[in-house]
Amino acid sequence: MFILYIFILLLVMALVSFIAKKKAYAIATVESIIILILTILYAFVRFYGYTGGMVSTFSYPIDTSIGFSFSVGITPISMVLLFLTVAIMSMAIFVSGRESYDRRFYGLMMTTEAGLFGLLISRNFLFFYVFWEAVIIPVFMLIAIFGGEKKESASLKFFVYTQIGSVFLLLSILTLFSFYSNSYHHGFTLNMGKLLSPAFISGYITPGQPFWTDFILFGFFIAFLVKMPSFPLHSWLPDAYTAAPYPVTIVLSGAISLMGGYGFYAVIFPIASLVGSTVAWIIIGLGIISLIYFAMVAMFQENMKKMMAYASAASMGFISISLGVGILSTGYNTYTSISGGIFQILAHGLIMGLVFSSLYIIKLNTGSESNLTVRGLFREMPVVSAFFLGGLMASLGLPGLAGFISEASIVLASYETLGLLIFLVIFGMIITASYHVWAAQKALNGPYNEFLGKVKDGSRGEIAALSLLFILILLLGIYPSLFYHMIFVYIKGGI
Amino acid sequence: MFGILFTNQIQVMYPEIFLGLVAFGMLLLGRSVKNPRVYTAITMASLFIALFLLLTFDSGNETLFGGSYLINNFGLYFAVIMIISSLYVTFSAGATLKSNPESFFSIFLLVNVSMMVAAFSNNLIYIFIAFEGVSIGTYIMSAYGKTRRNLEASAKYFFTGIIATGFILFGSSFYYLSTGTFNLLSVNVSRGPMLVALIMLFVGFGFKLALVPLQQWAVDAYDGTANPVSAFLSTGTKVLAFLIILRVFIEGFRNFSTDVFYLFVIVSIITMTYGNMAALSENNVKRMLAYSSIAQAGYLILVVAATSASTTSAFVFTVAMFTAMYYSLVYIFMKGGAFLSVSAVRKDNVEIDDMAGIGTISPAFAISFSILMLSLAGIPPTAGFFAKYYLFLALIGSNLWWLAVIGILNSAISVFYYLKIIVVMFRKDVDGKDFNTSRAVIAPLVLAAALSLILSLFIFAYPQISAMATGLGVSI
Repeated sequence: MFILYIFILLLVMALVSFIAKKKAYAIATVESIIILILTILYAFVRFYGYTGGMVSTFSYPIDTSIGFSFSVGITPISMVLLFLTVAIMSMAIFVSGRESYDRRFYGLMMTTEAGLFGLLISRNFLFFYVFWEAVIIPVFMLIAIFGGEKKESASLKFFVYTQIGSVFLLLSILTLFSFYSNSYHHGFTLNMGKLLSPAFISGYITPGQPFWTDFILFGFFIAFLVKMPSFPLHSWLPDAYTAAPYPVTIVLSGAISLMGGYGFYAVIFPIASLVGSTVAWIIIGLGIISLIYFAMVAMFQENMKKMMAYASAASMGFISISLGVGILSTGYNTYTSISGGIFQILAHGLIMGLVFSSLYIIKLNTGSESNLTVRGLFREMPVVSAFFLGGLMASLGLPGLAGFISEASIVLASYETLGLLIFLVIFGMIITASYHVWAAQKALNGPYNEFLGKVKDGSRGEIAALSLLFILILLLGIYPSLFYHMIFVYIKGGI
Repeated sequence: MFGILFTNQIQVMYPEIFLGLVAFGMLLLGRSVKNPRVYTAITMASLFIALFLLLTFDSGNETLFGGSYLINNFGLYFAVIMIISSLYVTFSAGATLKSNPESFFSIFLLVNVSMMVAAFSNNLIYIFIAFEGVSIGTYIMSAYGKTRRNLEASAKYFFTGIIATGFILFGSSFYYLSTGTFNLLSVNVSRGPMLVALIMLFVGFGFKLALVPLQQWAVDAYDGTANPVSAFLSTGTKVLAFLIILRVFIEGFRNFSTDVFYLFVIVSIITMTYGNMAALSENNVKRMLAYSSIAQAGYLILVVAATSASTTSAFVFTVAMFTAMYYSLVYIFMKGGAFLSVSAVRKDNVEIDDMAGIGTISPAFAISFSILMLSLAGIPPTAGFFAKYYLFLALIGSNLWWLAVIGILNSAISVFYYLKIIVVMFRKDVDGKDFNTSRAVIAPLVLAAALSLILSLFIFAYPQISAMATGLGVSI
């Protein structure tokens, strides 16, 4: 119930942010931090000494004749992603303070947070879908209203892409619903647990329904791959990431891509018995292609924001690999691969939060985000530059930082399945490392670009926020069990 | 002598009789009173009273005139929502109608009488007469105004409408040829004349619903008429045409459901796709909305496809009928509100770019309009989403996955042009634009937007609403 109260509080807060005429920034910051603290508190209470299963289950029937009910349930997967969401959102809201955004901006940000929160806690497919869409609208508005150059085409592209994905999601949900009631004869339900239960899926759909199996999977995969974004459904990515204002870019890379990953592990993994080896290999292939292709594209970007946008998409390629491997292999390889994938979402979100926030501060202070003008920044902005470097290092998977844990566990688990293909993954990681280092080299080291003139370092508050985030990334790199353990226990216990 | 007034047959006609009397009274009053507000008030009041009379006297089950006139909840539901749509249009019409308000409103009320009659009719001739009553009234209403544009729109509407009338009569006579009666619940035997009747009636009624390839008039008529009239044309009369299509093709042709199925599937696919594609490239707001209502009509008739498919089941039938009823209700406010809101720009041909900057001048307008657009696009948690949700549920339920995919891709494409308006509205260039953000423009829009959200709660009423569908007289 406590989680539900947090959610209701969040809804109220979003409304307050829309209404409050003055000090919109301060209010939103305080609100998001309160939610962050409450969520951490909840996580501590409910997941300290976690032993498996779903906690905080709650259900309020709305219309039983058609299977609507508002159901809530928290698994470690959603807990980890909830934590990521609230952390990223408070970071994004906090760093936006220097630009004078009005209450519409903060209201929409809080609505986005509420939508993500609702998505992660709901266990009913109808609400899952409603919140899924409820996230897209405010993000679309944020890009369309507050974006930079080409904001209109970018926001529309973003929306149409994700909308096509989500309508397929809806069709898949409807198909499951229809099978459950019409053929399986177990009444009308939209409960995720029931519609994804092995008894129904492997007992009824898997045998003798080849077409519908593909149909269901196709819808789910399209919806989730668009959000990640994965090759070849990524062409909204460069436009949206660059046109969005920085705080929204943080949200896009940390929180919107999370939705795709959450869908993978919370929806597709439970029905893994539907996924044949061909489909699993296709997913792995898409993951590897994303990893390499996006890394290659990122390498040639002069605009660092765009480069990191591709870097973000590239590291989401690991999620696809982890899911495919998790389905193809058995035993500990599956557990490790899936846990690594979930951990990767968390690490990726936090790292991208750090990278984009420090890049944002660099952009604000120097007026540029291009690798051609921003050079030798260590001389003028040592602290922010250090955090940017830290973010880049974490993003390339340096041991000791969060990104390493997940990438290492995915690669370890996938060796047996992938065989020699693992070299492609390694190759992608090498490219990733090379352009990260290259970017750091150009932007931070070397002679300072005197045309930028005298530049201030980040303010005290900004540095504090960046260091908190960095400490978190470091902590997760050194002591991953903080989250890794409960994910592993949950996956091992069977979803 | 007056005892006849209190018999059942007359009592169920009270709403119609009442509105007709008010309409003629209004014409008399027009000799002395010229203030449009008075007529708006009278119209509103009498529509409310008619609503009350409807709910009082027509809520039972009654069969009149040898089964030609069926009083039941299905007809009642549609009659009520059509009156509601008229109320909604009246609510906003008063301010824009300056000359001869009495003739406009009295014709408007007579149209409402015909709509109510049509809602309960179960006989092709009754339907034809009532339908003509509505058509002739709307021809006059669309010509209301003094500009050439209004006349041109009305003339186009009139000439194409007359041809449609001919088709309906022709089709009805073939129907009679096959069955020996005009009653829709009759048992029909010979296939040849029925197929001719099917095509002819489809052309006739499809014209009113503006299904492709019978849509040509709609865009010009909506574009050329006054905003309240186009709002009414695209809501009240559309719902009526939809109801008649449900009646005639689900009930009257129930023994030929395969033919009905193929006809409706093909036409709905063409209609959806054409409407959306045309709307995508349209810059004029009203024409874009007109194309979008063509596309919406395409979704609506998917209901007929779902119910007449060979794979349909009782559950699908219930869901489909719920969709039909719920979609009609939601559609009134989505589309009516959208058409009325065009009045906010003081200009004749409102382009999408003319809406730029209204988000800063009147956030209430921009937000409400955005909600309507999102609802039309079918995005949760608006009522438009739930309407589409049940529609696709019905399609998936009867294994028509390919039709659902086509429909859903169409609705994804349509998002593009709906959102284009939203994006433009929140742009910040205000200079040189003249917006009319008076209460008369904003209030109906805000009401529609609020209802587009509130009506999504109607999914709770699924059992009650779908129970009314039994009044259609067909069950699977």
